[in-house]
Amino acid sequence: MIDPRLVAVKKKLSLIKRILVFSSAKGGVGKSICAAVSALSLSQAGFRTGLLDMDFQGASAHIFLGTELCFPEESRGIKPFRIKERLDFMSFAPFSREHPVPLRGNDVTQAMIELLAITVWDELDFLVVDMPPGIGDEVLDILRFMNRAEFIVITTPSGVVIRVVERLLEMLRNLEVPVVGIIENMKTNESPYRTNSCGERNLSNSYMAKRFQMKLLGSIPFIPDMDELVGRPDALLCSILGLTIKKIMSAITRQRGNSCKSFLGGVNG
Amino acid sequence: MHEWALAEAVISTVDKIYRENNKKSIHSVNISIGEIQSIEMDIFREGLKIILDEYPFGPEVFQFKTEKASFKCNCCGKEWLLEDHAECGEEEREAIHFLPEAAHVYMRCPYCDSPDFKLLKGRGVSIESVELDPGND
Repeated sequence: MIDPRLVAVKKKLSLIKRILVFSSAKGGVGKSICAAVSALSLSQAGFRTGLLDMDFQGASAHIFLGTELCFPEESRGIKPFRIKERLDFMSFAPFSREHPVPLRGNDVTQAMIELLAITVWDELDFLVVDMPPGIGDEVLDILRFMNRAEFIVITTPSGVVIRVVERLLEMLRNLEVPVVGIIENMKTNESPYRTNSCGERNLSNSYMAKRFQMKLLGSIPFIPDMDELVGRPDALLCSILGLTIKKIMSAITRQRGNSCKSFLGGVNG
Repeated sequence: MHEWALAEAVISTVDKIYRENNKKSIHSVNISIGEIQSIEMDIFREGLKIILDEYPFGPEVFQFKTEKASFKCNCCGKEWLLEDHAECGEEEREAIHFLPEAAHVYMRCPYCDSPDFKLLKGRGVSIESVELDPGND
């Protein structure tokens, strides 16, 4: 039995210049908001951009973008939703609406293949992929299907988050997966710079980046009234989060794709 | 018309096999169409026919069979067929047509009401076999 979608996926992805995967081993760190605002920022800068929400069970990119979802239009496949000029979007959410999505691993893989095989993106400069938390099926499938993927790892100053994110960085490093760098979200004035309970090591994102020889791309301050920005793309772009991400994306667009090497000084919001 | 995307996927795959086998003539391609995806065969065949204009094999080599969808509950272990389900609404059917995994959103085990089931057969479009013409080396 041959799955014809696999050849189609490869063909469709070949039309995309760069694939940026926003990932974290921990949930609630701001992957979706960073991915959505990065996509907005790239399109605003003139790049043809796609945003793909791969977090089937916790799809939320459309909420940040304020997009009303209906069934996609069909034309030799399904057309992604046009969010803004040069920005298209696809997700599982149009098919599940606000209902729970109880999928096991193989179902996740099947849904991912289907979505990649039937979505007809225009030729893109960037595809931004919003991942679910963890190092599960979705990450393994991205590594399997998108061998040109470049990871951007989202973290926070929390010592717990850092210790979990380190596991993702270790896996990416061991697999020699290109990592553009790390974005520290929700940075507070009193950013922790501390040792664990045994006093063995330093728990800070700058130390983690250094330890894994990866670049800390920038730090986004904690925004207490974040909910007021949700669903308002223009307000998001003008916020401190949007401005910090704009600087980060600007540096990324000046860089040749698919590189493991550090390439820019960090950006602080 | 996302049947077109699936038709394109089938043709690209058969073309890859054709090229990998020194362009031996294709004798037949056996396609299985899963019941749950409710593929509109007229559109699928039309898509194949039009796209195949650019390829060295024609629509006559494609043979189709429909595979009934069957499920097994991961909780109670019972099995059932698609026809055992209460009728889904139009929107739900449409969602499952696009993405068969949406079945887990809208369907339940008819015996224990669990959403935790697996689709045993009849998911979507797959190529069962590609037979090359032996007399054309």
